[in-house]
Amino acid sequence: MAKLTLPPVELVRSGHSACPGCGPALAMRYLLKGTGERTVVSVPASCWTIIATGYPTTALRIPMIDTPIEATGASISGLRAALDALHMSDVQVVGFAGDGGTVDIGLQSLSGMLERRTDALYVMYDNEAYMNTGIQRSGSTPLGAWTTTTPVEGMARGKGEPKKDIMGIVLAHHPVYAATLNVAYPEDFLRKAQKAASLKGPRFFHVLAPCPPGWKFASDQTVQIGRLATDTGIFPLYEVENGKLRVTRKLGQLKPVRDYIKVQGRFGHLTDAEIDTVEHEVQASWAALLQREAHP
Amino acid sequence: MIEIRFHGRGGQGAVIAAELLAQAANLDGKTPQSFAFYGAERRGAPVVSYARIDDRPILLRTAITAPDIVVVLDPGLVEVAPVMDGLKPGGTLLVNSPLPPERFPTPKPAFVATLDATQIALSHGIGSRTMPIVNTTMLGALSRVSSVVSLSAVQHAIDEHVPARPAENGLAAIEGFHTVRVAELPGLPGGKAPAGPVAPALSSEVPEAPIASMASDVLHTSSWRTLQPVITREKCTRCNFCWKFCPDNAIDLDAEGFPVVRNEHCKGCGLCAVECPPVAIEMVVEGGA
Amino acid sequence: MTRLVLSGNYAQSYAARLARVQVISAYPITPQTTIVEQLAKFVSSGELPAQFIKVESEHSALQVCVSAAALGARTYTATSSQGLLLMHELLHWASGMRTPIVMGVVSRSVGPPWSLDADHTDTMSQRDTGWVQIYPESNQEVLDSVLESFRLAEDLAIRLPVMVAEDAFYLSHTVEPVEVPSQAQVDAFLPPRVPKGTLVPGKATRLGSYVGPADYVRFRREQARAMERVPETLAAIEEDYGRRMGRTYGGLLQEYRTEGADAVLLTMGTASTTARAVVDELRAEGKRVGLARIRVFRPFPAKEVRALASRVDRLGVMDRSWTFGQMGSAATEVAAAIQSSPRQPRLSSFLAGVGGRDVGTALLREMFRDLLSKEPSGLRWMDMEPLKEAPLHG
Repeated sequence: MAKLTLPPVELVRSGHSACPGCGPALAMRYLLKGTGERTVVSVPASCWTIIATGYPTTALRIPMIDTPIEATGASISGLRAALDALHMSDVQVVGFAGDGGTVDIGLQSLSGMLERRTDALYVMYDNEAYMNTGIQRSGSTPLGAWTTTTPVEGMARGKGEPKKDIMGIVLAHHPVYAATLNVAYPEDFLRKAQKAASLKGPRFFHVLAPCPPGWKFASDQTVQIGRLATDTGIFPLYEVENGKLRVTRKLGQLKPVRDYIKVQGRFGHLTDAEIDTVEHEVQASWAALLQREAHP
Repeated sequence: MIEIRFHGRGGQGAVIAAELLAQAANLDGKTPQSFAFYGAERRGAPVVSYARIDDRPILLRTAITAPDIVVVLDPGLVEVAPVMDGLKPGGTLLVNSPLPPERFPTPKPAFVATLDATQIALSHGIGSRTMPIVNTTMLGALSRVSSVVSLSAVQHAIDEHVPARPAENGLAAIEGFHTVRVAELPGLPGGKAPAGPVAPALSSEVPEAPIASMASDVLHTSSWRTLQPVITREKCTRCNFCWKFCPDNAIDLDAEGFPVVRNEHCKGCGLCAVECPPVAIEMVVEGGA
Repeated sequence: MTRLVLSGNYAQSYAARLARVQVISAYPITPQTTIVEQLAKFVSSGELPAQFIKVESEHSALQVCVSAAALGARTYTATSSQGLLLMHELLHWASGMRTPIVMGVVSRSVGPPWSLDADHTDTMSQRDTGWVQIYPESNQEVLDSVLESFRLAEDLAIRLPVMVAEDAFYLSHTVEPVEVPSQAQVDAFLPPRVPKGTLVPGKATRLGSYVGPADYVRFRREQARAMERVPETLAAIEEDYGRRMGRTYGGLLQEYRTEGADAVLLTMGTASTTARAVVDELRAEGKRVGLARIRVFRPFPAKEVRALASRVDRLGVMDRSWTFGQMGSAATEVAAAIQSSPRQPRLSSFLAGVGGRDVGTALLREMFRDLLSKEPSGLRWMDMEPLKEAPLHG
């Protein structure tokens, strides 16, 4: 039999309330395999508020604290402060927030946590819209995507603005470690989670977590679509440690972004010309990323 | 006043069904009310929605506990959700199922109606195999087995309010109207429904703060499923990809490294089947067909 | 015990230090700043071995405290006015999670128009957030109340957050002698926090869960019951404090010369001190008047107010904030408290001291005069004449 490439410990229980094929459910599972049993997690209002199941049950084998949607950065600063004050500095502190709770309403709190050098890992699980409330656009929704608040109706062609560059914002705060991760690449995910757990200081993960109902694809396609996101160059995997960038999934020839876009209902209205525009932008940003890696 | 309860799965259109019925009843000149309670329901999870129809203004804004009509949009729900709860004696149970009405005995005497709405909807290109959208077909059938709404009002409501494929949905409603079968059943001995799934027991006192510590494994999410994975052991290479990619931790590895699906937790997403390199996993319709 | 001359703000800082708080988090706002500046000194000098998390907003300040308290730490924060309003959402989280946070509030008016002065609009608009509210009238009482608040908040029968609200400038920036107890005295009075209902690393617990309607209302009832236990628990704590330190403040409603009174004025905070002096003057003139100070506004001392109403014909309430369409904030609550009283005193509502407008002896005399001679007529806006000269600051 094949060797397990992930630790067998399961800190996410079964019976949770994620939709079938949920990317964010995989994200928490892989993350905790990396950070381990001595982890405390802070979860703001987001899909995971529901996934973790209602009182009196909990889907995690570790402590979890709920917070309002915009407060993750402050919450993990508070958890770290208490652990330090109570002489439990070995405990990993993780904030696990959605994209809206991070790039929109939680940005101030995230910035504060990074600036005050909180020793904690902030994880943004990005399903690219407010999915828990029923698919409304967030600052992290990509250009052209249909959501219930960016309809394809009349002249409207889905979201009219590009996705917010959260990694750029985070890196401007000079965290000790920041990385992009994808639930379709669990071994890369695990390695980064273990690495983050070995470091002290502010750390940040941008995790791509595909959402079958929100992106409009069948529940068995989560990993396939996740892989395409990276392999087309839309969501490259890299890490930045002490300012040095390294691409962790090297790609020779990028796959056509068409392969990624065409399999998702949220992009079903995009024309070939519109897809070509995306293709050009992805090529340019991929080249820029390689440039940053080669010439820091 | 007629009170109706719809049972469906998250994403299947149960809430829209109740709203569409309200629109249709309004076209019939009646006073409708439709509502749902939004909770933690996820795609595939059992959900309910409600409607009241009357000739006069409706003076109630409360839950419906004793419906005159129950409409079940997914055949699997009869096994896993309390669909018979509170159904009035002499009421109507309408189930999407290819089986005859006699296969759905009610606790109290009732009219039971069935039709294969899934087949009808799919033949009109509405929804997918894992998530057929049967609400319009079921409303057509409802207009046949009850006087609560007319078929023409259902058709008009579909025309006005169904954004995708209104023509196909209209045809599906007509086919539902014509194919539904009804039987008058005497009720079960003892008048009790079979016991359904049991929710975790809560103590009579709650702690001071909302602290949850019961393991979520007690929650059996198998009720969300319409397809289930079947592993062919002979084809399995024990690569453990299925274990690795299961978002529900519903696959265990046995002592020899073979995957075993934990039936009560599998939601039937199908990721394991798609990610299985030797194609040793097949998704089959729940309950076997 | 050492006698120091301290501002109300320093009294807060000294009390937090003596309480051996473990986590402090705050964001600066006038007139709260000297509280946290002094705490920063205590922490930097090593006198107070605490984590002081300097955050980017009051919202974050209270979230830091909530999360730290959830792990069992003793936490303290301080704010004022707009900052308290920004905390509003977290105030509910703190009480709903039953985190025993103690917060110093410097009660200040709310903009616009901008004003930095004493007023109760900030704290009154938070009265239903599930926090205990204490309104001291002296710097000594500020220090004593903060220490009592930690005992109260952390009592396992209570486990509710407490705010100690001092009037801006009248306390925050006024210096006066304060008896500061020794660390040994405070340690004997206030033992380390017993962690209960907290998150424990390694243990599968979730604090804050999603709940259905049936459980939601039961958690809320538990919270209400805890609040109902406050009067008795606080009385016991005060008694112990009095035994050790020699000072008590008369429970939730502190009465002064109410025996045989024809009229009693109810006040909160610093106006009470001046009003007490006016009572003495009026008593000397043969007028039978008294004072009752609402020391604890949440839970509201309804029982104590009813007892007062059973023996006084005329009650007046001076407020620094009001309820639109009703009367002053406290007056409205007094009216609700006495409606089930067998005797119905005549109730007058006086609004004064809004936005820092000074509450002097003449104004308080006017209130007593009105109270004794006029019939109640809803909310009276007192002292509405424009100032003859420009104010000294602002």
